[in-house]
Amino acid sequence: MLGAAATWTLPVFLEKTFFALDALAADAVTQTVTGKDGTILVVLQMAGGNDGLNMVVPYSDDAYHVARPRLRLSADKVLKIDNHIALSPKLAGLKSLYDEGHVAIVQGVGYPNPNRSHFRSTEIWQTASDADRTVSDGWLGRYFDNCCGGADPTVGVAIGEETPQAFAAKNPTGVTFSRPEQFRFRPSEPGRGQLSAEEIFFRQLNEAGVAEESGTVASNTGGSIGAIPGKAKNDLSTLDFLQRTALDAQLSSDKILAIARKYKSSVTYPQGQLAAGLNIIARMIAGGLPTRVYYASQGGFDTHAGQINTHERLMGEFNDAVTAFVADLKQQGNFERVLLLTFSEFGRRVQENANGGTDHGAAAPMFVLGGAIKPGLFGKYPSLTDLDHGDLKFNTDFRSVYGTVLDRWLKAPSEIVLGRKFPALAIV
Amino acid sequence: MLTPLADSKWNEAAAAHLLNRAGFGGTPTEIEAVRRKGLAAAVRDLVEVKSDAANVPPPSWAHPRNIQAQRMEIKAAKDRGENFQGKARQVRMMEGEEIVDLRRWWLDRMLTGPAPLLEKMTLFWHGHFATSAQKVQDAYWIWLQNDTLRRNAFGNFATLVKKISRDPAMMIYLDLQQSRKEHPNENWARELMELFTVGIGNYTEQDIRESARTFTGYRIDMTTQQFRFAPFQQDRGPKTFMGKTGSLNGDDIIDSLVSKPACAQFIGRKLWRFFVEDDPSRQNVDAIAQRTRAHNFEMRPVLREIFSSAEFYSERVMGSQIKSPIQYIVQTSKLLDAPPPSPIAAQNAMRQMGQILFAPPNVKGWDGGKEWISTSTLLFRYNFANYLINGDAILPQNLQQRRQGADVGFGRATQMAEQVRREPIDLGKLVPADVRSKPREVVDLLIRRFFQTRPAQKEIDSFVQYLESRTSDTADVTLRELIHLMMSTPQFQLT
Repeated sequence: MLGAAATWTLPVFLEKTFFALDALAADAVTQTVTGKDGTILVVLQMAGGNDGLNMVVPYSDDAYHVARPRLRLSADKVLKIDNHIALSPKLAGLKSLYDEGHVAIVQGVGYPNPNRSHFRSTEIWQTASDADRTVSDGWLGRYFDNCCGGADPTVGVAIGEETPQAFAAKNPTGVTFSRPEQFRFRPSEPGRGQLSAEEIFFRQLNEAGVAEESGTVASNTGGSIGAIPGKAKNDLSTLDFLQRTALDAQLSSDKILAIARKYKSSVTYPQGQLAAGLNIIARMIAGGLPTRVYYASQGGFDTHAGQINTHERLMGEFNDAVTAFVADLKQQGNFERVLLLTFSEFGRRVQENANGGTDHGAAAPMFVLGGAIKPGLFGKYPSLTDLDHGDLKFNTDFRSVYGTVLDRWLKAPSEIVLGRKFPALAIV
Repeated sequence: MLTPLADSKWNEAAAAHLLNRAGFGGTPTEIEAVRRKGLAAAVRDLVEVKSDAANVPPPSWAHPRNIQAQRMEIKAAKDRGENFQGKARQVRMMEGEEIVDLRRWWLDRMLTGPAPLLEKMTLFWHGHFATSAQKVQDAYWIWLQNDTLRRNAFGNFATLVKKISRDPAMMIYLDLQQSRKEHPNENWARELMELFTVGIGNYTEQDIRESARTFTGYRIDMTTQQFRFAPFQQDRGPKTFMGKTGSLNGDDIIDSLVSKPACAQFIGRKLWRFFVEDDPSRQNVDAIAQRTRAHNFEMRPVLREIFSSAEFYSERVMGSQIKSPIQYIVQTSKLLDAPPPSPIAAQNAMRQMGQILFAPPNVKGWDGGKEWISTSTLLFRYNFANYLINGDAILPQNLQQRRQGADVGFGRATQMAEQVRREPIDLGKLVPADVRSKPREVVDLLIRRFFQTRPAQKEIDSFVQYLESRTSDTADVTLRELIHLMMSTPQFQLT
């Protein structure tokens, strides 16, 4: 039947390949997490489209100063990395970390056929799909699905109100909260210092089912959904699935609250959403939560007008939050275990607009930071004159960065998570 | 073939199941009324809705507003180097408020409208022809699409697809309005096949390229905000689609796709997953596909057959579906005999539970099933139930603490105190005074209301013990806690 084969389109092929890889993944090494020694990835989203040109500044390039008469950062103010590249003056802490050998800057990161919609481009970064394909699962979700079977649900922790699409998975794993106190069952009447009657019965109702249904498993740990190998989750009845998830929710909630109560940072964090998020993450790391991936975000980068003050403020917040976080991790002795990765859905147009702002662009730099990474500049700074519709052309696919982090940092097979192998970078 | 349900199998549980799946659930009184009607009449009333049920008065703001002029004004201000942000923000705000209002408007229809199945089917089509306000950025267009889906929800599938191909919101969402003779845009053409009609594996890349050419000339008049056809933009050359060559147009492509056996399988399977069960057997998919073809893709008779079939009422199917977030919000309001949550509270809940009306995550819509539930969404459901039952009294009073009202997911709760105001439920409506002092009767009464599938005896005993542990205290607060406990169980998430 030639006909059938001939109708095999490229997407079908990819789908089938994905499926085959999926099956293969079932046998792949399962990530074991002890909470005390594994490597940790922190993903930091800069939402809105961060202006890479004013973060990593090509200060010696005339084209930069011509394109940005109002927004340009002059050579005498920037923090120079070499004869061509410098950091925004607000990134002093980051510059010190760079000099200490803890920062890798990947330049000109993007993807083919860049999309300039926030919504769509964010989705592409979160799912690691090609620009012309829609994928529902996130890249971290596929990592959880394929490499973390049997893991605790706190294997992924997102700080925020909404679970990032990067965590979307066939078997939803990972927990999301803005503050640890939020991630718990709230009784109608809070018990003063002890469990209220409602809470006690709540616990009974959300543990009992599992032990009863499955007969053999103990109710406190064995009934956890994480204890079921990934593939087998599909075969659970919906009620059984719900009961196990309920138990998981309770166990994770207890663990997170206990850590939040016990571990406080001795480092002072600045104000702001990002700093608060990184502070929670540092406390969870200190407490040994068995998490492989944390997710934090900073918003406000969509600087269409009056960019100069806004962007300076954002860079300052970013710098201060990350610097405090690193100091905290160093003090804990955990800096070597942590790799922090930044991304934004796109950079901004090279030419500033009439309102002292910049419009949606394409390629931009990514920061990789940690106690055990390989520092330096990677990729090439894109040309400011050879542009694509006024935007920088990428030279490094963001999935090369993801792939390298998966393979070399999380020790997870990247082609299973990303669907294919991307060239590795020497950042780890 | 689907087997009709035997009359002898029609009972209270079956009536409750019908109301749950073909609508958004029912109170014990409603369930009893439907049971008494009998199966045939009950299904007839759901599918034979009066013609004016689809003829819904729109929200007051839902009319064309010359979006062209609005956008030109912003652009002109921008080009002049003036501060356009104020104006742009004003327009965006308005669009934001309108979308919030549209969500409220639709939830109201689901909860109190005369045709629950019509609304449920409209929700099915919204997930099928997923379109997001985040890209469309205009509430009128989003409303217009919703109206088109509702008016055609029970009608002919091919007709609906043709209307959707001319729907401004969809045209913007999938870039169809940018498609030119010289540069046909393939986004719509691809999704038409992959997600809307035949499914992946049933077409080639060439089919996509050729059909993209047939949809050229589809435009939106930005002044009237309506579809318009631009003959000069149309590619009139011969095209070859799935082996047929001719001067095909967009409607020809849709007719051709709907006639493929794969289309009945694709739509049939999706309907079955939405209304019946997550993992349909091959046999049931074949059966529903066969019935879909037999009814020439007229949805009304297909739905009638589903809801009259023994397969739909099988023990495996009843009470086995995880409530979607929308189902959760609407059904819970019904069961609590309380008003729906305020528009902002409802929208926050949709966000935290993972299903925001008019903002599906992507063109594939919502996968549903087990994907609704993670540790975070489950805990949110439990805490949201607390708010729905006890009202905003659970949000701490002083300013500092109120910020912690974010505990139930309402970020920036300080500004929202007014917008999330809510009274506790009226227990008098749920528990008559004369049973209050009898724990087992109270529990029985509430279980019949809140669970269509009876929980395990052990859980029922827990509820009774809880009441007994509060001694003879049958004050409202105890009963509210009991209801909160019932809703904070895995079982309550099922319908």
